[in-house]
Amino acid sequence: MRRINITLLVLIVNLMFIGCGGVFFKHWPQPSENLPVSHELDSVPFYPQEAYQCGPASLAMALTWSGIQANPDTITPEVLTPSRKGSLQSAMIGAARRHGRLAYPIAGPDSIFEEVAAGHPVIVLQNLGLSWYPVWHYAVVVGYDLHKGTVILHSGVTPRKRLSFRVFYNTWARSDYWGLLVLSPSRLPAMAKKHNYISAVLGLEKAHQWRAAIEGYNTALARWPSSLSARMGLGNSYYALGDLESAEAAFRQATRRFPTDGMAFNNLAQVLWEQGKQQEALEAATRAVDLGGPLVEEYRRTLKEIQKGKP
Amino acid sequence: MIRRVAKPVSIFLTICMLLLSLPHKSAFAGMIETETALNATRGQEARDYLNRILAREDVRASLVAQGIDPLEAKARVESLSDAEVVSLADQIEELPAGGSALGIIVGTLLIVFIVLLITDILGYTDIFPFVKKHSEAK
Repeated sequence: MRRINITLLVLIVNLMFIGCGGVFFKHWPQPSENLPVSHELDSVPFYPQEAYQCGPASLAMALTWSGIQANPDTITPEVLTPSRKGSLQSAMIGAARRHGRLAYPIAGPDSIFEEVAAGHPVIVLQNLGLSWYPVWHYAVVVGYDLHKGTVILHSGVTPRKRLSFRVFYNTWARSDYWGLLVLSPSRLPAMAKKHNYISAVLGLEKAHQWRAAIEGYNTALARWPSSLSARMGLGNSYYALGDLESAEAAFRQATRRFPTDGMAFNNLAQVLWEQGKQQEALEAATRAVDLGGPLVEEYRRTLKEIQKGKP
Repeated sequence: MIRRVAKPVSIFLTICMLLLSLPHKSAFAGMIETETALNATRGQEARDYLNRILAREDVRASLVAQGIDPLEAKARVESLSDAEVVSLADQIEELPAGGSALGIIVGTLLIVFIVLLITDILGYTDIFPFVKKHSEAK
């Protein structure tokens, strides 16, 4: 059915714009100079999709590549919205996280080839139709060739489908260049940005994937040792696991590195208190209150609880 | 019929919701959550980042060449709100060739570009049409 739709569309579009092939043409970003001229990943499996399964199939390919057992049938119930006959982007992100994988949306069209060159397949959302007749489709970018001007995708029922830059960028632009990396939390995106990466790890916390979150925060800290939020996240994830000793160690390190910020002292106080280290907890909580800041009310509450006595 | 069913169902659902929300809440009592930390630190980190850029010799030289006092530029960055500083830092980080690689090697052209971007946003210059001016109405 979809194939007929597409054929029809192509026909209509051809009829409408015959002789002006450049009508949808927009310039695409210039890749950076040190990018390899072409690259193709051979470690990404291909799962052909059945009806409305492009979301599950694409996610299953990315998950399998990242080391998680998955196939379109097991992923379908996790992402498909039956009434929409498709999968929402948020469902794709959520499902990746529930499998303990980091879901990192790539921002805009600029970094996609850098990611592929670094060995990362990228899930993209295309609109194969037009803005007023959308045919949404997920596919996985597994390669590119700057010389030939082609992008290589696992798409629908076709493995290693080659699309010209023009067609690829036109169909991709209609989703505002929505792209997603599904990575093991020990890996950094090639063009990782600190805030985006830590937000992605935070998503693992939200999905209660504490161990994956710990791994992600450690990856973040290896790259950005001066990130207070990653240190907080590390401690919080250990805390959520009930590993109070490791949480204490993480918050202690945070207080050493950021001696003027109350947040880490507050959490350190709470963790010490729950281990029965009353005196140390009191000192840390008092320190947090003394340092003040916008969260000082929270610190006061922590201090008050600790002063009340045993947890 | 609906009325008869609605009450027990809604009570059941209310209890379900409570159960869902309870363990998470209690697990974090007294703790500053990562999300709060992330939002709280973002403004400060963006400020540090911009100050690092403005402290670079090549950037200062470029500012002076534009007839702009680096101290004044710094003062203007300091007067921006957290949200404005974050958006400014983001724009620089999103520059092609990676403003994030700024610490490594940056070509003269990119420096000029960054400087002009900053000064555009601060209202000294008006080069880039995509930069929303801080106080357009003046």
